[in-house]
Amino acid sequence: MASEAPVSDQHTIDAALAGDQAAWDALVTRFSGRLWSAVRAYGLSAADAADAVQGTWLRLVENLHTIRDPERIGAWLLTTARREASLLSRRNRGERLIGDPAITEHSDSGPPRTGNVHPDPALAVLSADEGRRLWRTVETMHEPCRSLLLLMATAPDAGVHQLAGRLGMPSGSYGPTRGRCLNRLRTMLTAQEAQP
Amino acid sequence: MTRHPPAIDDESLVAALRLAAGRDPVPAHVSAAARAVFGLRVPGASAALPVATAAPLGVRSADEARLLRFTAAELTVELEITSVDGLVDLAGQVSPLPETGTTVEVRTPHLTQSREVSATGQFAVTGLPPGWFSVVCRRPEHCPVVTSWTRIRP
Repeated sequence: MASEAPVSDQHTIDAALAGDQAAWDALVTRFSGRLWSAVRAYGLSAADAADAVQGTWLRLVENLHTIRDPERIGAWLLTTARREASLLSRRNRGERLIGDPAITEHSDSGPPRTGNVHPDPALAVLSADEGRRLWRTVETMHEPCRSLLLLMATAPDAGVHQLAGRLGMPSGSYGPTRGRCLNRLRTMLTAQEAQP
Repeated sequence: MTRHPPAIDDESLVAALRLAAGRDPVPAHVSAAARAVFGLRVPGASAALPVATAAPLGVRSADEARLLRFTAAELTVELEITSVDGLVDLAGQVSPLPETGTTVEVRTPHLTQSREVSATGQFAVTGLPPGWFSVVCRRPEHCPVVTSWTRIRP
């Protein structure tokens, strides 16, 4: 795992606003990995994930002048990306947004209002330190959770049948089991926090 | 940052596990596209933002045209979308009626098609790949107006 890119500072954002491509590239370098993982977690294909990430950067170009705050830009990007991914995921599952997808997207769930972006739990968890802690916790889990989470994380393009087959469980069990394992992991993380 | 806020959803946990596992790196073309987005800025432009349009009565079929409307301070751009063979056709209307010499650029992140706007304020482009779209309207003696990026899929 590469070390964290340096925190984007006000200078970087101001330089991007002034038209400095290198400053923009620094933002892309800093956030691309987290945005990609965030949208892929919605079960999107690589093509759809690319679409969602690109849309996120397009929205940032439009809105950077209203954000400006280096403390908020990560949460803003992540919130925007997750929203795009969720919309695409819902469309792919057949929840057709018939009337007018684009307008629906804008009116219901356009980019977050820049005044009230909350600290996003997803942003905290998507740091290198937290990632290592997550995996140390997974290592202590019982089966099938330990194997399931490992497989899920390392075979991002595998389908449900493939994953279930490799775990030796019926396809219909994979989804519910995954849900229980994620709940269990969440509970263990919460318990860790309760300790000093 | 060592404390988890109370609610981490499944997608966040999955994303974090995968990111740390390092087995699904960002494809190079995705990062390249993100860098290229910076070149799509239109300096000095004013933004035309989307406004809801009421679907015409009876429009519930996927092959009916859809309508997008974007407004800036003094300009409205409407886009009627139809899909043919998986590609996107756009028929546009600029209002109020633009002066002679007004042009539009219909943009995707990868290509730009320029059109002169007709005397009745209309323009059209056909056969574009689905994805993200934005329209720049350039009128003589005015700042350009650029619509916010919108995803159009068949």
